[in-house]
Amino acid sequence: MGKVLLKNIENPDSADINEYKKAGGYSNLPKALEKQPKEIIEEVKKAGLRGRGGAGFPVAMKWTFASADPKFPKYLLCNADEGEPGTFKDRPILEKNPHLLIEGMAISGYALGAEYGYIYLRGEYPEAKNILNRAIKQANDNGFLGDNILGKGIKFHLAVHQGAGAYICGEETALIESLEGDKGQPRIKPPFPVNVGVFAKPTVVNNVETLSNLPYIIEIGGDAYSKIGTPDCPGPKLYCVSGHVEKPGVYELPMGTILRDIIYTHCGGIKGGRKLKAVIPGGATTPILPPDKIDCPMDFVNMPKHGSMLGSGAVIVMDESVCLVKVCYRILKFLEHESCGKCTPCREGTGWLRSILGRVEGGEGMEGDIDLMLSVSGNMMGKTFCPLGDGAASVVQNFIKHFRPEFEEHIKNAKCRFK
Amino acid sequence: MIKVTINGKEIELEKPVTVLEAARSAGIKIPTLCYHEQLEKYGGCRLCLVEVEKIPRLQTACTLMVTDGMVVRTETPQIADVRRGILEFLLINHPLDCPYCDKAGECELQDLVEKYGPAKGRYKEKKRKAPESLEDPVFVRNMERCVMCTRCVRMCDGVQGASAIAIINRGGHSHMEPFSGGKYDCEYCGNCVSVCPVGAIMSRLHRHSYRPWQVKEKTETICPYCGVGCTVIAQVRDDSIKRVIPKIGSSVNNGMLCSRGRFGYEFVGSSERLTSPMIKKNGVLEQATWEEAISLTAKRLGEIKNKYGGPSIAGIASPRCTNEDNYVFQKFMRVALGTNNIDSTARTGYAGTQKFIENIFGQGATANIISGLSNSDSVLVIGGDPTAINPILGLQIRACSRKGGNILAIGHIKGLEKFNPVTVSPRFYTETLLLEGIVSALKNKKGLPGSIPALEAKIKDISTSAKEVENGCGIAEKDFIRFTDTLSESLTPSIVLGKDIAQSSGGSYKLMLISAINYLMNARIYLLSERANEQGVLDMGCAPDLLPGYRPLSFAEFRKRYENAWKSPISEKPGLSIFEMVDSAKSNALKALYIMGENPVFNLPNSKAVKAALKNVEFIVVQDIFLTETGKLADVVFPALSWAEKEGTFTNMERRIQRLRKAVNREGMEDWRIISEVAKNMGVKLDYSGAEEIFQEISRISPLHRDLTYEEIGKGGAIYPYKGEPLRGVMEDIQMHKGSSVNPDGKLYLRLERPLFHSGTLSTKAPALVKIYPEAVARVSPAVGEALSLKSGDMARVSTRTGSLELPVNIDNKLDNLSVMLTNNFEDKGAFSLMEYTIDPVTKAPVIDANEVKLEKVLA
Repeated sequence: MGKVLLKNIENPDSADINEYKKAGGYSNLPKALEKQPKEIIEEVKKAGLRGRGGAGFPVAMKWTFASADPKFPKYLLCNADEGEPGTFKDRPILEKNPHLLIEGMAISGYALGAEYGYIYLRGEYPEAKNILNRAIKQANDNGFLGDNILGKGIKFHLAVHQGAGAYICGEETALIESLEGDKGQPRIKPPFPVNVGVFAKPTVVNNVETLSNLPYIIEIGGDAYSKIGTPDCPGPKLYCVSGHVEKPGVYELPMGTILRDIIYTHCGGIKGGRKLKAVIPGGATTPILPPDKIDCPMDFVNMPKHGSMLGSGAVIVMDESVCLVKVCYRILKFLEHESCGKCTPCREGTGWLRSILGRVEGGEGMEGDIDLMLSVSGNMMGKTFCPLGDGAASVVQNFIKHFRPEFEEHIKNAKCRFK
Repeated sequence: MIKVTINGKEIELEKPVTVLEAARSAGIKIPTLCYHEQLEKYGGCRLCLVEVEKIPRLQTACTLMVTDGMVVRTETPQIADVRRGILEFLLINHPLDCPYCDKAGECELQDLVEKYGPAKGRYKEKKRKAPESLEDPVFVRNMERCVMCTRCVRMCDGVQGASAIAIINRGGHSHMEPFSGGKYDCEYCGNCVSVCPVGAIMSRLHRHSYRPWQVKEKTETICPYCGVGCTVIAQVRDDSIKRVIPKIGSSVNNGMLCSRGRFGYEFVGSSERLTSPMIKKNGVLEQATWEEAISLTAKRLGEIKNKYGGPSIAGIASPRCTNEDNYVFQKFMRVALGTNNIDSTARTGYAGTQKFIENIFGQGATANIISGLSNSDSVLVIGGDPTAINPILGLQIRACSRKGGNILAIGHIKGLEKFNPVTVSPRFYTETLLLEGIVSALKNKKGLPGSIPALEAKIKDISTSAKEVENGCGIAEKDFIRFTDTLSESLTPSIVLGKDIAQSSGGSYKLMLISAINYLMNARIYLLSERANEQGVLDMGCAPDLLPGYRPLSFAEFRKRYENAWKSPISEKPGLSIFEMVDSAKSNALKALYIMGENPVFNLPNSKAVKAALKNVEFIVVQDIFLTETGKLADVVFPALSWAEKEGTFTNMERRIQRLRKAVNREGMEDWRIISEVAKNMGVKLDYSGAEEIFQEISRISPLHRDLTYEEIGKGGAIYPYKGEPLRGVMEDIQMHKGSSVNPDGKLYLRLERPLFHSGTLSTKAPALVKIYPEAVARVSPAVGEALSLKSGDMARVSTRTGSLELPVNIDNKLDNLSVMLTNNFEDKGAFSLMEYTIDPVTKAPVIDANEVKLEKVLA
């Protein structure tokens, strides 16, 4: 299988519409417009496409809910608020292959009956903003977007909205609040965005990578697509690998590629031949794995069976030079900073955990601190408004679960030996 | 029917509600903090987490809707642990300063911790610090105590509609702050204080002066300020009102209050209150005993009556006094003094407007339920800002907008500007033309229904096109058409009418046009009312042409009825209106004036002339709680008991009769009792054991109030038309007066501002309201200010034909270029001292919109 999502990105002008067209781009949109919207949703269902944002929700199901809602207009939002630490998989699409996303959104918009789409772009991607805006203009000028797409009387407009730097706005309802001009905080669910989303209208929120799969599904058909990767979770997947590997970067591989293979085969193994200490396989808030647990297929179905999650596919590799207490502290510091403050356990718990971790890492830990952290994170887990708080609790619980001796050592010796 | 099982108990529900509501309906308590019944759901505090079968995660009971067959558990050991965990989170950064916090004793956090047990004290880190903010004169903010429930913000945004505060910053740094920074720039309704579950936002008025459990007296009574008649609870310690709070579920205001109602109570305990009767000796008021003052009053009134006859005496009743006070007063005037010379400041607009409208549509046409306003699909607002004059009624208009209704405003209405009003602002003095245009448009769209021929005869004569409106009023044709289309398309419209109409040139003609709109739209009409018992003073017969029960004096049948009841003849000659009294005083025909709870020397336009006229009167009696400008002219002054110190009833603008209950003990007499004592000294029996006995007499003889009892009123059963008989159509000719046309070009006019924070001079005796709005200011538009190089805060001399005042200027960019706005609240700085008036011959209301004014910069 050739590259689908990262096709042609070695070409320095890949973001230009002509280069994209030369490489076969915008050939699937006309095909899609020949179909009935329902047929497209049916293809996506056959394809078994799951959302690539982190939760892996079946895309066709979301779409069916939204298109069944009688309210109009409907909206399609692209979640490009790629904020999970370690994640940079959407960036090559946004910067190098924006037309793939646009084509995917045009197809999706048509399938959903949405006439307006927004790309909610993270504030820290200013480059991508310019690239996307230029690409949208080109697509408009070439009749792939606008009031009368390819002369078929189909309408779909697209606009970029830049976030202001809040991690929580990657959560779809907070994203919607932010898009509407309010403070980014998650909304009560139900009602779900598919029924009451942006401007109180049916709204589908999909990740950049998810929407970018659409042209390919149209090209080869849902059945063929479903043969790629894992049966329950098919398709190509972008894995972004960072940390102590020889060749960090974004890799497009079939869904379900074994984590060990990603690290040792595709990324050339641990930097300098050092020993692997731990891997966070799917972005900072997914459970950390010790070296003996990395023979797991990286997909939404299998990762939970191996004690972690696929998340955004952001693989963070750490060698033996790393202090995991410090890593844990750093992640909690991030989550405390990004907690929106709406619900009690997350607002108060993230700060408390960060304080304790800071103390332990700084050699001022006290006996009982580990149990205290487990208790505090237990009081958060499952009680927060949105997954951010759960994520914070889970980070602490999993770091301690796999690396408790390292925490104990910090407390016992009242110092960090990695310093 | 939806069946749910909560803690093993089966509950059947008619319609889907939240799990929390379902549980509460079955008497199952679930702890909450961010939940509040008046507010939108939030789900942030996480205290109400419960277990629901088939849902793996715990669910917040306050947000989850019940579904048929749902099984919920709210009290398990696991849930108790969760709640303890949440409370621990809430306490780790809390200052734990209960011994010092005013909220202790009624703090929801404290109560919850008491129930679930204290945390283990395992938080070793530094607490977040935030200094208590005392930057505002009324509110104190303590963000260390805040639990981030956001009830204040949801109240301010979603219910009050002031949108003055917000949660700023993120995560643990989140806190509530007014947009204006430390000091609030808001409506000071204090409804954020009501809903705060902890001691994070509190009133400074009673800071550290009591503990909640020390306020034993909790008296449910009615607010003394405007005609809405909000239910308030006065909380008292040692005969001093510590706090006034609203009551959730009360029919008029349902848990809401405005700035005056909540923070305006301090006048009751003012050290300036009159404490003893006073008699003028050698031009100086000196303290006297009750006996001296009463017998002197009786003697002098008797002498004057004998010498000049009853009609040489007049009485001014009070829309701030109870029905009982006013009833006894008019009975005294009619029976003891033999005159119908009794009137009140309701004459300044409310009385004439109501009479005009009732003449066309029948009695009770303006008695509409305030809470129903929000269910209208459009509200036409004209003649005043309801959110300032009657703030709680204003909230209903805002709620109407929130529910999708249209607000149609004639002229800029400041308090509704955030609620997407469809506004048409006619040029000065062209309101009549605009109204004619609206009537014409509605006539063409809706046709004439045929039910009131007299009104239709007037409507038929009106024909004003959109083009004429554009040329005359300066309103673009398309804006006018949008306005009339929106109005005509509405199915359940309401009209909210302020006093500015009656007080403007051609007021009665405008009232006919507004009546025509009301008629063509089949709307409901609400009259804004500035005084708590403005309706009651009329219904009690404190008007020169009305007997109690709002019965016309001119009908022999009604006179007969009261003559029989009072065992005394009643003059058939209508008495003097309040303005005729002034004229009569000016011409020396009026010999004595008895004034109860009113301050005509300040509260009537051209107040300087009123003062001069009253100086001619031989004998003036004033009953009041403060020594007013009028009191200073009096020969005898009686100290009266205030609103908080007596029993009685008020009738609000809906004509709902409500009970006032005594909250504070104070030595002295109610207004009616003073009158009764004077009558006794004149040999006239006006004896009552108490307010209730007076009301019994009213309900015995007034056909309108028949069979009403205090007990029923207390239960809220006194909504018009009660059980008595409303007066059926006694339609007279529709008379109206077009007024003179004015060419305002290049001139400035003095106009009366009716502020949110003040009411008469009473509110200026309430320190909190004075802190919010401390002094009289002249408001002008930027263009007017610029022409004289005036900035906000600069001093200007405001002069009219009757005098001049030096006032600080306030630049208001929403104001037109013809107006200088001034309030009539501050001593020696009242707009009425600069205003002359003419009387509308139909409504008898003063026309005050033609006072040219000169503005000059005063150099420092």
